Amino acid sequence: MKRFFAVTLGILTAIGGFVDIGDLVANALVGSRFGLSLAWVVVVGVVGICLFAEMAGRVAAVSGRPVFDLVRERLGPRAGLLNLAASFGINLLTLAAEIGGAALALELATGIDYLLWVPAVGLVAWLVMWRVKFETMERVFGLAGLALVVFLVAFFALGPDYGELGRQLVHNPSDDGAATYWFYAVALLGAAMTPYEVFFFSSGGVEERWTRRDLGVMRANVFVGFPLGGLLSIAIAACAATVFLPQMIEVDTLGQMVLPAGLAFGQIGLALVIFGVFAATFGATLETALSSGYSISQYFGWQWGKYVRPREAARFHATLLVSTIVAVALILTTIDPIKVTEYSLVLSAAALPLTYLPVLMIANDPDYMGDRVNGRLSNTLGTFYMILLLVVAVAAIPLMLATKAGQ
Amino acid sequence: MRRVVLVLLLVVAGCASPAWDDADYGRKAGATAEAAASSVALVRLAVENEAKLTRPYLQTLLTETVTALDSVDSQFGAVQPPSRQAVEVRAEITELTSEAAEQVQVLLNEVRLREIRDPEKAVADLAELGDRLRAFAEEQPS
Repeated sequence: MKRFFAVTLGILTAIGGFVDIGDLVANALVGSRFGLSLAWVVVVGVVGICLFAEMAGRVAAVSGRPVFDLVRERLGPRAGLLNLAASFGINLLTLAAEIGGAALALELATGIDYLLWVPAVGLVAWLVMWRVKFETMERVFGLAGLALVVFLVAFFALGPDYGELGRQLVHNPSDDGAATYWFYAVALLGAAMTPYEVFFFSSGGVEERWTRRDLGVMRANVFVGFPLGGLLSIAIAACAATVFLPQMIEVDTLGQMVLPAGLAFGQIGLALVIFGVFAATFGATLETALSSGYSISQYFGWQWGKYVRPREAARFHATLLVSTIVAVALILTTIDPIKVTEYSLVLSAAALPLTYLPVLMIANDPDYMGDRVNGRLSNTLGTFYMILLLVVAVAAIPLMLATKAGQ
Repeated sequence: MRRVVLVLLLVVAGCASPAWDDADYGRKAGATAEAAASSVALVRLAVENEAKLTRPYLQTLLTETVTALDSVDSQFGAVQPPSRQAVEVRAEITELTSEAAEQVQVLLNEVRLREIRDPEKAVADLAELGDRLRAFAEEQPS
């Protein structure tokens, strides 16, 4: 019974923690412009993140070390540094976007300008990272993020035209050109396979002291929790396709994105969805900030993690603090957090092979994994995804320039 | 070469690019009208469902829309009309977008004070303005 409870809790946390500002923005935007014609990208992204998260979790459980702790050792300091620079830069941009998202959610709840909330969000995030236990932190915000299920319920309550949505699955209803369609496909894939998710999942496994015995629970979280999180992403797009697309409304702010929940359930629905957006983005703020600390500390071999006292991991905590301050400062320049999110998604997509290639390599290395190396299915799928991610990485920046970031 | 570099820089920076001829200018004017029509349709949807939404939320939504309409207006305003005919197009679209910004600003002021005075009239006005914006967009070259 206790084990069942642990598995269920883990799955619920994974569902609630799956959606972040990138998923919210990309799915709502795509739903309002392309209907459900890009839903297939979410499916491809969810299969990809499940595949690589399982590998990263297995590496953490079997070797007792997170994947990126092994990158420098396995690939050498130069390749490791390239990997670190790319992932850290994108992570910082994502952190800024998440802080902006949490502040925007507070603005929607209170009517007070989001810029006034940004320093408060940064400060509270830092205090939580400093004081709250890893497991408590992950569970509370993961479970609170489940409030976003309101999108799924709202979709049915809005009385959608199922026939039209079905047609959109195979036919793009938009007049936008092919380049714009593929630009958003790349952004959606970047949202579903955001690099920090793997950093965090892998390092979190070590924080929670996973062993081989935890492999079953880890796989349940990944193979049940993540796909259900992906379903939430599709629900966000479906709500936008139902409410905005028929009226030719293109959404580009967080306030607009949550409107379907208000239309379906009134003020209670609106309150729930705003709470869910805050929980999801604040939870992701913690995850991205911690991922910044993990990646830098693991590369330089510093003591890291929340399982030791802050005094014993001073450089790790200093990195968290500096990353948070830089991200807060970036949003305080008044740059639009939604634009930061859009750019971070495309740049994430461009850097996906750098994140996922080391995962595939280490999960195949018997020196680290013993008899738990990848099986044939994982390797076949892993190779397919590496080719796909390389194509996406090459296409991402040219598509961004050609479409003026999807305009 | 310099021209190519300049255009590339403008595109990368997200600035308004120049209009090469009347057709290009018309396309930009059409896109501006579409963006404004989208904002107006959103506000109409929100006002129609005002009772279902909270005041802080509605206030934020309208503030964002006023900002978006101002931004659309200033971005298009930065494009130089290439001919006298284009100047007329500019006058027409600017009038429409200014009217949209003004209508939303009035609604925002009403929400800030208490609530929208006459939601039915506001919805009708916004629908009519939205139709004019869409009609303008359709007249432009695609």
